[in-house]
Amino acid sequence: MASNISYDLIWEITRQNSSYLVKRKQAGGVQFSRDPLNLTNKHSKKYEGYANDKAIGILPGENGGVTLLTKKTGSANKPSSALHTTKFGSNKSSRKTYRSIVSSTAKKGYRPDLRAEAVSRASAIRKSQKPVKQDKPAKLRGAKARKANEQ
Amino acid sequence: MTTRPTVTVIGADGAPSDSTHPLPEVFKVPIRPDIVQSVHTGIAKNKRQPYAVSEKAGHQTSAESWGTGRAVARIPRVSGGGTHRAGQAAFGNMCRSGRMFAPTKVWRKWHQKINLGQKRFATASALAASSSPALLLARGHSVTSVPEVPLVVSSTAFSGAAIAKTSAALALLKAVGAGADVDRVRASRKLRAGKGKLRGRRHRQRRGPLVVYNPVEDGRDLVKAFRNIPGVETSSVYSLNLLQLAPGGHLGRFIVWTSAAFKALDTIYGTTTEPSALKKNFLLPSALVTQPDIGKLINSSEIQTVLRPVRGAAITKRQNVQKKNPLVNKQVLLRLNPYAAAFSKEKLGQASVKQDEVKAPTKQSLTLLHEN
Amino acid sequence: MALLMKHVPIVKKHTARFNRHQSDRFKCVDPSWRKPKGIDNRVRRRFKGQAAMPKIGYGSNKKTRHLMPSGHKAFLVKNTRDVDLLLMHNRTFAAEIASAVSARKRVEIIAKAKALGVKVTNSKAKVKTES
Repeated sequence: MASNISYDLIWEITRQNSSYLVKRKQAGGVQFSRDPLNLTNKHSKKYEGYANDKAIGILPGENGGVTLLTKKTGSANKPSSALHTTKFGSNKSSRKTYRSIVSSTAKKGYRPDLRAEAVSRASAIRKSQKPVKQDKPAKLRGAKARKANEQ
Repeated sequence: MTTRPTVTVIGADGAPSDSTHPLPEVFKVPIRPDIVQSVHTGIAKNKRQPYAVSEKAGHQTSAESWGTGRAVARIPRVSGGGTHRAGQAAFGNMCRSGRMFAPTKVWRKWHQKINLGQKRFATASALAASSSPALLLARGHSVTSVPEVPLVVSSTAFSGAAIAKTSAALALLKAVGAGADVDRVRASRKLRAGKGKLRGRRHRQRRGPLVVYNPVEDGRDLVKAFRNIPGVETSSVYSLNLLQLAPGGHLGRFIVWTSAAFKALDTIYGTTTEPSALKKNFLLPSALVTQPDIGKLINSSEIQTVLRPVRGAAITKRQNVQKKNPLVNKQVLLRLNPYAAAFSKEKLGQASVKQDEVKAPTKQSLTLLHEN
Repeated sequence: MALLMKHVPIVKKHTARFNRHQSDRFKCVDPSWRKPKGIDNRVRRRFKGQAAMPKIGYGSNKKTRHLMPSGHKAFLVKNTRDVDLLLMHNRTFAAEIASAVSARKRVEIIAKAKALGVKVTNSKAKVKTES
């Protein structure tokens, strides 16, 4: 990274408008982010991966499981080799996945402020990969409807 | 002064070659989105063609106001009879088939003059921004497969009109990792909403990489090779255009440099102290703030030494805290009454009151009591 | 569906619309609110029995502002990628499918939302077939 570009500057440039930013007029103008290195999808300096030297991303893996992305420090100008990828398979238990995520990031002093977010995102992804429960059939309202159904 | 950062030159096959090139000074220019935006809005106006409604529109009738006393509005009315048009209001912007309000004129101020210094600043600033992968990503370019930013491709790949065919050009872009960005443009092509479709702007698509070459060394054959790849633009390093460097006024265009063009940057833009060879009276702008990293600023010893220490250090009195009832909250009770721990441990609260048996009064005491 | 974030009860201080003064009397006076400016205007002078004028005091509690009666905030989604954004916010936000999305794509969006535990406010629209 050249000496004239800091992450603070990048954030100020991209804060109003960026390709990752999703703005909606609802809910008082919510701003979400599509950055893969954003754990909460919130558009803020803390969570945006591109606006931080170190960042963690957790994505769903191909066959279940989760993929952990971390930014390598010092290779900011080399996009093809800037990310460190670790895959956790679907067979690994969720708790072990969280433990290895935390031990490879927060416990090493790599973005300890994102520890809870990383675990909860991994948990949410694991949950979303489970088979979806079928909806219960709607209860019929009223005696007439029940009778009509019986026939 | 630290050593100048260098950029690896990438071969035609996409593998990094041994040769490197120091980062030209223009990439150290302060990035000023405000200047880039205002210059962009000005420059973008300079390709407009005048348009206007016909001078005669709405005035091709001999309408005359009827004046007062006819119980109709005093708007000019078409004279004559024998047709429905007669007696209808004319001329006014509120009238059917009247002229528009403030008819557009061809002598509107279509073009903007932008100061040369500002234009140069904006161009240099946009170039500097193109060296940050974060800004490229935030602009929307898919550069995750690019080995290095700024991406410099060896000019040997272009020498002798090696890239004269589109297939060769596309293969080169793919080899250096810019293929994903071209694919992104190709996938983005959509029919334009609105009337622009009929006016020669049928489709909308994203912008892809900008190939910057040096016409002296690379030749101009590559222009024809690249021009049919969607989204890819070419530009000579001697005539860079802000509209291409920061489309829409948004910083961070993905630029593919030829090494000859990259080398030429220092002669074109000069440095902050040496004037440019090609631009008259131009020195690269230097940053007012030398340390743009706020975290480093705050944690610097210069600032930390003049800050007053944190009040109360580790234990600070909290304000506006909820009052806790010591009779309910044990921790608060212990803070107020350290004996409470022993009190509850000994179960003194539950213990029944010990009463010594009352001794029956002795005779002597009774006599003393009733002495008088 | 993910558990909803607890919130204080939603109180709307004024549920009726504020209609423009005398919009009930004249067809040409649009009901959308315009503050009366006349020197003698009785609504402006807040006479007894006159229509109430909107003011800042009618604003909702910040904690319940923008909440739907279900307790969620709405987020307009146009495709499954938009639903992904709500992965970490399924306790506060609910997806609302944009009106122009076709029935075929609605099915995909609803399936995705279900997997992520995101509530869809208009999940019945267009998708439901007549039985």
